[in-house]
Amino acid sequence: MRGKKRVLIGKIGLDGHDNGIRIVSKWLADAGFEVVYLGLYNTPEGIVKAVVQENADLIGCSFLGGEHLFYCRKILHLLRQNGLEDKKLIVGGVIPPDDVQTLKEMGVSAVFTPGTMRDAIIQKVSELVEA
Amino acid sequence: MKASDKIQYDRYLKGEKLPHFKTLSGIEMKEFYNREDSPQDPPDPGIFPFTRGIYRDMYRGRLWTRRQQSGFGTPEESNHRIHFLLNKGMTGLNIDFDIATKLGLDPDHPLAEGDVGLQGTSLATLEDMDTLFRGIPLDRVSTTLIVNPPYSAVIMAMYLLVAQRQRVEPSQLIGTIMNCAVTQLVGPTYQSGTHFFPLDPAIKIASDVMEHCIHHMPRWNIININSRNIRETGVDAVQEVAFVFSLALEYVRSLLARGMDIDAFAPRMGFFATVHIDFLEEIAKLRAMRRIWAHLMKDTFGAKNPRSCWLRVAIQTSSLPLTAQQPLNNIARAAIQTLAAVLGGSQSVHTTSYDEGYALPTEESHVLAIRTQQMIAYETGVCRTADPLGGSYVIEKLTDEIEERVLALMEVIEKKGGFLECFKSQWIENQINEARYEYARQLESGELVQIGVNLEREEDEAVQINIFRQESDMQEKRIRYIKQYKGSRNGDKVKRVLEKLYRQVKEDPDGNLLPTLIETVDEKATLGEISDTLREAYGFKVHYI
Repeated sequence: MRGKKRVLIGKIGLDGHDNGIRIVSKWLADAGFEVVYLGLYNTPEGIVKAVVQENADLIGCSFLGGEHLFYCRKILHLLRQNGLEDKKLIVGGVIPPDDVQTLKEMGVSAVFTPGTMRDAIIQKVSELVEA
Repeated sequence: MKASDKIQYDRYLKGEKLPHFKTLSGIEMKEFYNREDSPQDPPDPGIFPFTRGIYRDMYRGRLWTRRQQSGFGTPEESNHRIHFLLNKGMTGLNIDFDIATKLGLDPDHPLAEGDVGLQGTSLATLEDMDTLFRGIPLDRVSTTLIVNPPYSAVIMAMYLLVAQRQRVEPSQLIGTIMNCAVTQLVGPTYQSGTHFFPLDPAIKIASDVMEHCIHHMPRWNIININSRNIRETGVDAVQEVAFVFSLALEYVRSLLARGMDIDAFAPRMGFFATVHIDFLEEIAKLRAMRRIWAHLMKDTFGAKNPRSCWLRVAIQTSSLPLTAQQPLNNIARAAIQTLAAVLGGSQSVHTTSYDEGYALPTEESHVLAIRTQQMIAYETGVCRTADPLGGSYVIEKLTDEIEERVLALMEVIEKKGGFLECFKSQWIENQINEARYEYARQLESGELVQIGVNLEREEDEAVQINIFRQESDMQEKRIRYIKQYKGSRNGDKVKRVLEKLYRQVKEDPDGNLLPTLIETVDEKATLGEISDTLREAYGFKVHYI
């Protein structure tokens, strides 16, 4: 049994807004998670590859330009294709309310929109990796 | 619990107090300010060092330009929105391109497909540029082109050709190309500044654009150095100004090194800054910026033309204080920020829309932003006299304090080898990261109050505002378009002209690329193809999995 739970965090696609994702990475690291931050410009294929390499329990991405549906659909598809359904995907960023619902129906485990407080995120991530 | 149990009667009984009295930059404010804080009045508006404004009459002479950023989806859709906004009272254009364009990728590039047209207009061809400006007289409306080098050189080439088709001479063009290699992408992180193109050639090509504009476009601004994108990470006003001025010095030195005269180009450099919600501090910041810049140009670089000492600044009000919670509150916030921009003496303003936390602006929120500016201009009376807050003890004192702190931080950066050195060593990025963590910490602790987020938050709030939606087939359309475009032109001509560009970089590395780029674009090479050719010529490859 590994001690710390491992969380893989990265920006997918071309969006460079990394303010929130950097802050959340730090919050999770400070809360005792092992955070692997992959930076900008990852592809869905690259993220799924990294999940295997890093043996991560959860993936966190953020989208601030309206590209969330496109990329989440792709990542979830690739996870299923590779037999990695147990890996949870959480998403943060600028997401219109209707799309929060769509993302969850698609299989995204949690969506954090701007103004979500630290403890709410840590609690949700803890629940997800323990489940 | 009954609703009435939540009422906090103590707010009245004990007196409601602020958590502290520090500005966002950490300046501890005094109980009150008096003549001792500001023993000397600054020179009048229009007089060096222009603390009170670059013009004697400021907004009496002319109002600032209402310049709302716009651009989304296809060039047709963006053209439609531009016409709509001009009809609604916008007085200048501010064209934003999507990230694929800002990174030199065509819509059919495998890395671009999910981002095409989302954060600005998708644009890859000369034909696209023609569509974007259809029906817009380029000699009668000033345009800001929000794009970074080396791609700014390609966009500038396209713009010049579209002007030619409109029978507008380069000398008649009015506007600005942002053209900054470091600050255009949000962050700005070292990775975003180097992942798709090497930094030093990008700066070289930025200088090519500046040089070309200086020689051929006397009414055109050659660079707009963007401190807003630095500030939006959470750094404070002092860091915003110190970082951007340190970077500006690098550009000044690179143009001087080309043998250009300071007075030939300094009047044509501009800045793009932000206004956060710390009202007094932001006004003081803009005043301090003008004073510092004027002294730098005159004392350090020996500028003789007073215009070289003018700091001209475009503002986009900051998105950081805007909240996804209770979004209508943002209308009030943006109005206050816009007022600060005006009291600070800005030359153009984009008022950020209240739906910022959800999507790009709708037509409705875009118009509201224009109306906000018009109310400040025409109804509040603040434009009847130049620098109405000049001589206010606290404003003058804060201006002095910010100036002092900015100069001290610029000194630190200079000692570390200048901005670019600090950017490459990622010292800047570390400063940014520390600042954003600190900003988040203050929001968590309540030291920084945001209504709707950490005060008066309403759980399970149902947000009911109109939210912008892209056309569902927009991205497919663009990908189809670019493939058709590439298939329908004379491929041999494109190949030849791209080879010429490649050879020029290899054989004449110091030569100005603009003339060749104009030819390349005219032969229908796309932005992505030109960018790839430049990458190859500079021995660079984009890495991705």
